[in-house]
Amino acid sequence: MEHSIKISKEACQGCVNCIRVCPTEAIRVVDGEISIIEELCIDCGECLRSCCRSALGIYEDDWNRIKESSRTTLVPDPVFFSQFSHYGRPDNLEDVLMSLDFNTLIDEADDAFDLSAYAVAQLISRSSRTVLPLISVYCPAVLRLIQTKFPELLSRVVPVLSPLEIAATLWRMRTNSDAPLTLLAPCPAKITMVREPHGKRVSPLTNAVTVRKVARSIMAEGDINVENESVPRKRNNRWIQWARRGGESRHVQAFSDKKLNILAVSGMRNTLDTLQELELGRLRGVDFIECRVCDTGCVGGVGTADSRFLANLRLGTIETEWNITPKELSRAEELFTMDIWPVTNEYQPRPRLPLYDNVADAMVKLQQMKEIYNGLPHIDCGSCGRPSCQAMAEEIVRGHGSVTDCIFKLREGISALASQIVKLSESQPHTLKRKGGKS
Amino acid sequence: MAAPVCMEYRIEGNNFMVAGTASNNIKNTLKMLGIQSDVCRRAAVIAYEAEINLVIHANGGILKAVISEDKLEISTEDEGPGIPDIDQAMTEGYTTASNQAREMGFGAGMGLPNIKRNSDLFEIESTPGVGTKLISTVFFNK
Repeated sequence: MEHSIKISKEACQGCVNCIRVCPTEAIRVVDGEISIIEELCIDCGECLRSCCRSALGIYEDDWNRIKESSRTTLVPDPVFFSQFSHYGRPDNLEDVLMSLDFNTLIDEADDAFDLSAYAVAQLISRSSRTVLPLISVYCPAVLRLIQTKFPELLSRVVPVLSPLEIAATLWRMRTNSDAPLTLLAPCPAKITMVREPHGKRVSPLTNAVTVRKVARSIMAEGDINVENESVPRKRNNRWIQWARRGGESRHVQAFSDKKLNILAVSGMRNTLDTLQELELGRLRGVDFIECRVCDTGCVGGVGTADSRFLANLRLGTIETEWNITPKELSRAEELFTMDIWPVTNEYQPRPRLPLYDNVADAMVKLQQMKEIYNGLPHIDCGSCGRPSCQAMAEEIVRGHGSVTDCIFKLREGISALASQIVKLSESQPHTLKRKGGKS
Repeated sequence: MAAPVCMEYRIEGNNFMVAGTASNNIKNTLKMLGIQSDVCRRAAVIAYEAEINLVIHANGGILKAVISEDKLEISTEDEGPGIPDIDQAMTEGYTTASNQAREMGFGAGMGLPNIKRNSDLFEIESTPGVGTKLISTVFFNK
């Protein structure tokens, strides 16, 4: 399974910050070294935020190599346009990229995000009350979170490919080219989407680098004065608003005939709460749910260059046209009839392995696990290298580790052993015993 | 036959913030046993609605889950006001929830009907002034 989190074992001090923040409990410290359980990792990047020693990083493709190749073609995430204080309008940045000899997929992104929003609006209007709300698939970490923790909700995830991939497909169709395409991604989750695509077998994207890397490399070029800046392109900029919470929702609403009830939440905790409430049947009357695991939306990704607050502020000042023109509508309708947007491979659950392969034996293991757990201190200190006492009890019955991995149990053991030694030292063989206590 | 796994929770009355813990726990336990995903979902809904009923109507009570090899039994017992007319209480949309509960999005009158819909066996017994007992059973391999 491909991932985009890299570990620097030298930098890791073995603190347990990352272990505790991981929403799927995917991190362990084994023999003093941090390791990630691949099946559980959803590439959300929460662990990176908690690491104060830069022992965790994003595993991205080599931008220095990519930018040197002839005619580099970029698929920018909407977040990219919120990262620069001195290129206020998206088309300024477009000119800058062009002057640096990068080919950037803007027209295609315009079309692809419109198509994606239109497709979602269509799916909502064609769904019966009982299957609503549908869930957005734009945040790949949310999809993977649902696959691991809420597989019962998978049928609600819209079967629409990421608009970033649709943009790439549109470009390949138009140019008939198989030249490499590089995604500028704000987070490890979107990088992994390129390496391990969901909903289809092969991604039309080739490489993925972080928005941070590319934004910094462009900033390093200094202030670029683009000549002939006088002809501002007329763009609707709707797609750029997907960089923040609620952007997608507004776009979907723009393509809907009736007023939709849409819930847009951001941040890991809010996402988890929303999905749990949905699973418990509490969100009746909601049509669509937009969840982003990063606070404020994609601008809060761990692979961005600038403050999410500033980026969000800038997005607010970008002129955005939310009214769909008849021409844009017919363009979306036309693309909707093509097979470039639906997923071809159904989303599969990624369930945890049961304790044993039949219920009866699993129940025995569960009882053992409860007993082990009852003997543990329940303070979830992380010293054993696991996220919680519960997780430790589970691993022991699965055959990984022993109770003495717990520092408190180890101390108890040593103290018991010590008092046994004292007791033993008091008993001597008969040949050594002398009357009067002399030896 | 393995010994059944018992889980017991004391649910506090009017404490809306912690509602859902028992349900979540039961769901995770079922998953560890390798029970099918759909059964886990139904069990979670039953436990949650039963828990909410204890919180909003009964001023708290006991929620028990007993998992055997072939079935899960969720039962609640409380010493609340009781239900005078069970048929009426089983009607979708009928509610006696307080304004406070309704402001928090609870008390839509779907609780008991929801429990019944997700159960394979459903029993309820109530005496006004004494309390209510509820037993819901879900079979694993139907």
